[in-house]
Amino acid sequence: MTETSLLAEIRQAVSESLDRLDGVIALRRSGTGVAPHLFQRGDDLSELVIEPKYPLMTVVSRLHKRFPEIRLGVVARGCDERAYVEMAKRNQIDPQRLTIIGFACTAEEAQECYCSQPYPQKLVVGQPAPAGPVNPLVAEYDALSREERFEFWRRQFVKCIKCYGCRNICPECFCEACAMEDAAWVEPGLLAPPFPTFHLIRAMHMASRCVACRECERTCPAHIPLTVLYDLMRRDMEALLGYVPGADIDAEPPLSVKLDKVPLRQDVGV
Amino acid sequence: MVEFEPRIVAFMCNWCSYAGADNAGVARLPSPPNILPIRVMCSGRVSPEMVLRAFRAGADGVLVMGCHLGDCHYDSGNHRTLKRMPLLRNLLGYVGINPERLRLVWVSASEGPRFAQVTTEFTEKIRQLGPLSAEVSHD
Amino acid sequence: MMDAGRHPNIHLLTYAEVDEVSGYVGHFHVKVRQRPRYVDVNLCTGCGACAEACVFKKGVPNEFDAGLSRRRAAYVPMNGQAVPLKAVIDDKACLFLTRGKCTQACLEACPTRAIDFEQKEQIVELDVGAIVIATGFEMFDPRRLSAFSYGKSPDILDGLQFERLSSATGPTQGEILTSAGKKPERVAIIHCVGSRDANANRYCSRVCCMYALKHAHLVRDKTGAEVFEFYMDIRAFGKDYEEFYERVQEEGVYFVRGRGAEVQVREGGQLVVKAENTNLGIPVEVKVDMVILATAMEPQPDADKVAPIFGISRSASGFFQEAHPKLRPFHTNTDGVFLAGACQSPKDVPDTVAHASAAAAEVLSLFGRGEVIISPTTAQVITEKCVGCGDCVLVCPYSAISLVEGKSSVNAALCKGCGTCVATCPSGAIEALHFTDEQIVAQIEGVLAW
Repeated sequence: MTETSLLAEIRQAVSESLDRLDGVIALRRSGTGVAPHLFQRGDDLSELVIEPKYPLMTVVSRLHKRFPEIRLGVVARGCDERAYVEMAKRNQIDPQRLTIIGFACTAEEAQECYCSQPYPQKLVVGQPAPAGPVNPLVAEYDALSREERFEFWRRQFVKCIKCYGCRNICPECFCEACAMEDAAWVEPGLLAPPFPTFHLIRAMHMASRCVACRECERTCPAHIPLTVLYDLMRRDMEALLGYVPGADIDAEPPLSVKLDKVPLRQDVGV
Repeated sequence: MVEFEPRIVAFMCNWCSYAGADNAGVARLPSPPNILPIRVMCSGRVSPEMVLRAFRAGADGVLVMGCHLGDCHYDSGNHRTLKRMPLLRNLLGYVGINPERLRLVWVSASEGPRFAQVTTEFTEKIRQLGPLSAEVSHD
Repeated sequence: MMDAGRHPNIHLLTYAEVDEVSGYVGHFHVKVRQRPRYVDVNLCTGCGACAEACVFKKGVPNEFDAGLSRRRAAYVPMNGQAVPLKAVIDDKACLFLTRGKCTQACLEACPTRAIDFEQKEQIVELDVGAIVIATGFEMFDPRRLSAFSYGKSPDILDGLQFERLSSATGPTQGEILTSAGKKPERVAIIHCVGSRDANANRYCSRVCCMYALKHAHLVRDKTGAEVFEFYMDIRAFGKDYEEFYERVQEEGVYFVRGRGAEVQVREGGQLVVKAENTNLGIPVEVKVDMVILATAMEPQPDADKVAPIFGISRSASGFFQEAHPKLRPFHTNTDGVFLAGACQSPKDVPDTVAHASAAAAEVLSLFGRGEVIISPTTAQVITEKCVGCGDCVLVCPYSAISLVEGKSSVNAALCKGCGTCVATCPSGAIEALHFTDEQIVAQIEGVLAW
């Protein structure tokens, strides 16, 4: 399917769904650039675009909370739907009031994102592309010695300017008060931010929430390969607790429930 | 040359491990003074943030101690501890901090000897690993 | 029991089980599953005519006689001494209820037409301010220790069975007889069956030494038989207990200090007890006509299912856990739920009366005050920071947190202050009063200043 015909189909799907929805969230290209937009019945859909990739579920969540009756649709990639799953589980999006108009990413996009599932389960437009490879950095990482690992991250984290871009863009970071800004844990006023607290607090919070949308890394102005760390956490989350964020809306957050509901799958030597 | 004395922050749950430490003391079982106790009501109170903060503040090792599974005074607080700590251990290893610097153990109120043994072993382990500051450079 | 049955303020719900408890001290809501008796209690006089008429003549083992006698499907429980004195039809034994095939002679036999096979299970809902758990105990099953050969001879009895044998309302009207129908000439009593034993229960069951002495006394008194009592220690700890032990010794009971190791059933059914007489350092073998195993008290087998219904925990032994073994032995860690009697630990009658009276007094005190004093170390939500993700609701072991209009709210009466919710919340939107993150960080920095 060519890109233009994919887009045409998406616009068509959006147009049809607008009959029964208050609006559909998608990207809009205007004179000033591309931004999320609430398309409503009667709007000109020729400005609806799907690039660049942007985590639209955050907008859905804000509108759901602000307008408790609003019924929305959203144009969503695979990662958007996974983000929705983890947000819905945590009461940030109401599944009863959201229609997902899913479309498949291209094979090139899947490779760029090292994406293991480049299409949503609620697929309306497009054909599933094959999964991208595992990030080679992650693949090499296990072979690195402890000193090499430390050195790797020291060089990366020293670039961090504490812009909070990673946190701001992340769909799962919907907290009003953020632990990374809590003076109890992270001493204020330090650049580069304190290690290991600043970066590892976020990684621990991401353990049961990161859906591998890659937005954090794409946003980071210092090009820190954050997804390497989060991919490692996701790997542990699956090995230890059998949990893959975004896979199953009925699976309860594994760290919050008792062991008889979600047991440990490995002996951790306690 | 001053020999390295490990500084180990030990989070102890009030009902089991803190009482176990007391039990060890009453029985005159030797425990290293390197263990710096912080009492919490339940091991479930120990957040990853707290452990990281302890390392940040200068701990060379962190011990998280709680009740045995099934014995938690608050029924299942220790279930969450058991899930959090291994994840955090691995994460420390991923950024180049020796994961053996964080250890989770269950010590019950009557296990004074176990408390003495575990704390002695852990202190020796950290002594061998050396100060955390040698592994990482704090900025 | 009769007094309790008659008291105007006491409402007995028999043949019933608690299914669900919600709420908190002063405001519990309890759902009780009332099983059908198939007998209208307003009409039944407890005359027992249905039991006599019951077609299932072979019957089932009578629980009240610890299996030493049998009863039919229709019966008045406790050998006609039940409170309330009403009949019941056992729906697992009744031929009509299990197979639909029966002449239902009971229907005709009942003089007040009280039998009603149409009765259904009912759910009774109650609002109560406090709960006292007095679910008692179960006897250790000696079949778990094959050395005692329990079940291989009708003359090997456990502690409760011998109680029934020697009871005037029991299967032999209180005569102590072997299965051959004669008085025994030699009886062995073995202590610590199922207690003080790494293969069964490590604890001492407290009551067995004294009841074993009582059994020895009864055997001597009623039959004149020789009695051999195999013991490890004699625990005669209570008021007048030691004096009773001396008396039993003077009555000529032979006390052998050595754990009864084995009961053999030899050819012809001859019972032989083997033990070591540790005072003399020699093995002994004694042929007897009857063996009484002084079996331990154990928690009820469903204690693990009952405890979570009331939000209480169990000790390592399986008995319900008290708030403090010395200072609060009849409280649980759940406010408003109290323990009475052997469900908390093995107890004899005086201890049970004291324990239960204390629990009752505590309830009265609670109601008299009209207020509950709770610990200040509870969790509290900082509402502006909360985004209603609900993780705290999931982690709370006491279901003390709920979402109200999209924000978490902690019920301070239910909260026990464990702090697990505080460590779980990624926003720091719950704080543990008097154990705040800031306080703990200050401690961390303080200890590391060394």
